[in-house]
Amino acid sequence: MFGVGGEILWVDMTKGKIEKVPIDEELVNKYLLGAGYLSKILYDMIPAGTDPLGKKNILGIATGLLTGSMFPQASRHVVAALSPLTDVWGESHAAGFFGAELKFAGYDAIMFTGASSDPLYLNIEDSKVELLDASHLWGKDVFETDDILRKDHDRQFRTLSIGQAGENLVRFSAIMNDRDRASARSGLGAVMGSKKIKAVSVKGTGKLEVADPKNYLKQMDIFYERMMANPFTPGRVKYGTTSLVEMMQHIGRLPSYNMKQGVFDGYEKISGEAINEKYLVKARADFSCLQRCGRYTAVRKGPYAFEGGSPEFETQSSMGSRCGNDNLESILFGHHLANQYGMDTISLGGTISWAMEAWDEGLLTAEDTGGIDLSWGNAETIIKLTKMIALREGFGDVLADGSAAAAERIGRGTEKFVMTVKKQEIAGQEPRAQKSMGLAAVTAARGADHLYAFPVLDEAGFDKEIKERFGEQYLPEMADRLNPKYKGIMVKECEDFMVMVESVGLCKYGTQIPPEFYYDDIALTLKIHNGLNFTGNQLQEIGERIVNLNRLFNARFGVTRKDDCLPDRLTKEKAPLGPSAGEVVELDQMLTEYYDVRGWDQETGLPLKETLERLGLDYE
Amino acid sequence: MTELKFVFGDPDICSGCMVCVNVCSMFYSKVIGPTRSRVRVVRLEPALDFALFCRNCEDAPCIEACPEGALSRTSKGIVIVNNKKCNGTGACVEACPYNAIHIHPDTGKAIKCIQCGQCIDRCPADAIFMTTTAELAERDKDGRMMALHEKHKKELYPKEAKN
Repeated sequence: MFGVGGEILWVDMTKGKIEKVPIDEELVNKYLLGAGYLSKILYDMIPAGTDPLGKKNILGIATGLLTGSMFPQASRHVVAALSPLTDVWGESHAAGFFGAELKFAGYDAIMFTGASSDPLYLNIEDSKVELLDASHLWGKDVFETDDILRKDHDRQFRTLSIGQAGENLVRFSAIMNDRDRASARSGLGAVMGSKKIKAVSVKGTGKLEVADPKNYLKQMDIFYERMMANPFTPGRVKYGTTSLVEMMQHIGRLPSYNMKQGVFDGYEKISGEAINEKYLVKARADFSCLQRCGRYTAVRKGPYAFEGGSPEFETQSSMGSRCGNDNLESILFGHHLANQYGMDTISLGGTISWAMEAWDEGLLTAEDTGGIDLSWGNAETIIKLTKMIALREGFGDVLADGSAAAAERIGRGTEKFVMTVKKQEIAGQEPRAQKSMGLAAVTAARGADHLYAFPVLDEAGFDKEIKERFGEQYLPEMADRLNPKYKGIMVKECEDFMVMVESVGLCKYGTQIPPEFYYDDIALTLKIHNGLNFTGNQLQEIGERIVNLNRLFNARFGVTRKDDCLPDRLTKEKAPLGPSAGEVVELDQMLTEYYDVRGWDQETGLPLKETLERLGLDYE
Repeated sequence: MTELKFVFGDPDICSGCMVCVNVCSMFYSKVIGPTRSRVRVVRLEPALDFALFCRNCEDAPCIEACPEGALSRTSKGIVIVNNKKCNGTGACVEACPYNAIHIHPDTGKAIKCIQCGQCIDRCPADAIFMTTTAELAERDKDGRMMALHEKHKKELYPKEAKN
């Protein structure tokens, strides 16, 4: 096969043994690489009853088939394991340079099994792969770890690591790479910490040979021109995703005060415009990325002074509006701290906002918090708790297990303020203002998640794309964000496409929003880059196969229809304010349509036998 | 001799995406791989991304250094490598003050930027441009770009690791 590293590293942390295994091309034909390949390996190897933080969990880090290619935004890698936050399928993705570098070193994935008793890091220099002592790195933050590793080895090394949060088994800790890129969701930093893997450092001096070198650049020029000409690109360059704050406020979809409402009075103060005005230093890109939504910002003075990677929309909402916080400098700094300690800002903000609502309701008191004032919008508290959670100090230790576990521990009725699905905090999409997002949050394999499906086609007038991807008969209902009709069909289609995108290593920006590249473009690229012959339909079927396999994985850990639910607030309480006031999420209706189009049982929510047979999963 | 052209990047504008690196290795070597590219991209904090090319020095120490006489300047002022003569001794690599000439791992011959402009056309950030010393001085009136290159020269132009 062309365009890949060719081998997978199997690293036994218990025995300290490293094995190199060629990638299994038969598996690639059924699951591609990246998310799909990991889905299959982990499904085969992680039995029911596995402790997510025990030796038997397996942590995979995989690149996609096109990671390191010249396709726009082909920078991504995926990490997966049984999640310590949700106790079901855990998966997370990041951009950066790590994935491409791993490929240049000759590897497509790293599988960590077992656990070491002492901290180690994996160092990769082309064919030389070694586990090295990391005792000098343990306790260091993500930036310090990157600095030390690149000083000890060479500046051109790329690093992936955990900070103190992962070491301390914070259940929403992230795996960070290239300093400020985060595989944040699912708490997989804690899995890395439980195995005592502090970091992976990699330098690859190799090359990717492509299947059709003669036409490669010509074809990439066509893709480049399309991406650059897309009307979304200039806005992406200018704001990244930060201007979504303004856009979401205008449709009532900006989660505020722990999702009590979808509008926030202080939105302008935390907006993309506000960041650009005073703090933006420059837009930054990852490998092969034309859109450069990455931001670099600086707060020059005051208690929140820092310089570094900058939040995107999710953090602006989670540490901002969701906590009733309109202090932008604290949001920028809080995000920086979360990167430094290695934590998911969505679950971080979601957990703190749960505590703030419980405080506001008088259910949490200074006695519980050790005297910390949890009033809405208390920026100082948000910063203080960010550190305390990472280090598991005081009340931070309670919050470090996520809002669902914290509420279970505290009790007193605080459970009803937990805004999670399958114990993972819901991301920055108030679903009463966009119904598809509510459905997507419950069907996502990794628990509450907007990215597994990323159903954004009803968000901003993509009627043309809906017509192309689904057919005219679904308009206008499918394009109406408040209408539950056809959202099951839409979310199913989006999930199939998005897991496929995660399996080839591309970005959701450029494939889903803006919806510039679709199955046929990816099929063509797999042909000229990897020499693989897939049709668009076959790629869709692979996506469907992966989603079903993820569902089977979750079924092994007890998931059924009853777990595919939203907090009552979102399905029973009408949105109180703003442009989507009066709305609830009609979840049952959408879920029934979704199971139907998925070929899943309406009662159990599990794949029907004929569905598994059709996808070749009946022997799994 | 001030008409000598070279490609230069603005480290405040460059996003660090490495499209130039990939275009170069694909255009000339039909592969993707930074070690097969004639341009390097170095990311430094805070917020700097340097795309680094042959600076087309007037005194071109690489030409002088080659024991085989494989390097020469064309009538258009471009320093080129004659592959028939190049033995991959690496003397040019040693001599280059900008770490802008390398031995291609597959061919064993020296490679360097020859100001073809393929990458410039495709840079999504419009961060790299063809220029001359005089033009650059005009463009960079306050000396910002040159100062950044000068300030970070130790990290940007390290001597090749000996192997």
